Amino acid sequence: MQDLSLHVLDVIENSVRAGCKNLWIKIEVDVLKNKLQICVKDDGSGMSDDLILEAQNPFFTTKSKRKKKVGLGIPLFKQNAEVCDGKLTIKSEINKGTELVAFFSYNHIDRMPIGKIGDTFLGSIIGHTEVDFHIELIRKENSSKKEFILDTCDIKKELGDVPINYPDVITFIDEMIKEGIKNTYMEEV
Amino acid sequence: MKTLAELRKIREKAQENMKLRNSTSRIKVVVGMGTSGIAMGAREVMKTFLDEIAKREMNDVVVTQTGEKGLSSMEPVVDIIEAGKTTITYGYMTPEKVRKVVAEHIVNGIVVDDFVVATD
Repeated sequence: MQDLSLHVLDVIENSVRAGCKNLWIKIEVDVLKNKLQICVKDDGSGMSDDLILEAQNPFFTTKSKRKKKVGLGIPLFKQNAEVCDGKLTIKSEINKGTELVAFFSYNHIDRMPIGKIGDTFLGSIIGHTEVDFHIELIRKENSSKKEFILDTCDIKKELGDVPINYPDVITFIDEMIKEGIKNTYMEEV
Repeated sequence: MKTLAELRKIREKAQENMKLRNSTSRIKVVVGMGTSGIAMGAREVMKTFLDEIAKREMNDVVVTQTGEKGLSSMEPVVDIIEAGKTTITYGYMTPEKVRKVVAEHIVNGIVVDDFVVATD
């Protein structure tokens, strides 16, 4: 993975595979506290304590069809957090959901760039129309706080019987996300 | 600033369009978005499909994301599913190849043999 936005996409796909109906994604940059935090929470099937440990083991996967039993998604994300004085934690409860929090030291030389986080959001929203996304981007710098919120529930409500993956709607959401990312300075390549 | 109010206009236009045309989805595009697919550029492939659909206003094509299916060495992998036809799997996809598949396969119905890695 070249950047954090690809890790976020990987984690989103895990949540969808766990059958979630809602996904809460929050990315927060606090420049003064030198903190970058990514939180992905779902209401999917959840994991037992044993499974949470296993998920962090590179030789574990839930994908039963695989011949080679590897699952590098979470271990790589964890490693990329730890190399820049950060950490990755997973909390989960069976039938309730899972919450993953990755924490990074914002100005650490080895911290990966955020990358094209907008493409991660757009692809996931349109690629999983059955899931509702609650996205929050926050940037705190000096005394200012910039915030962008996107909730697909609100969009679906406005659209009525028009599907969220309708061509003009895709363009609308793409532009809306781009604006939000620009206002919160979230895209670093 | 983009506002939700703009969606109302889009909704009205879309509802008109849906009355005129049969808007049931004709083709389903499935982009493999497992860890290895993502590492190989599947997100750019997904984004290119979305850009093409929006640009060409194809309201009868649906694009979804899915996990891996055991074709990791051929990522990024894309399935084109059409009722009554064989499912075509394209491999080693790039944004450039996506544009070709959209123009030739999805719009004109001609499979791009060079990119096919599996059929079933």
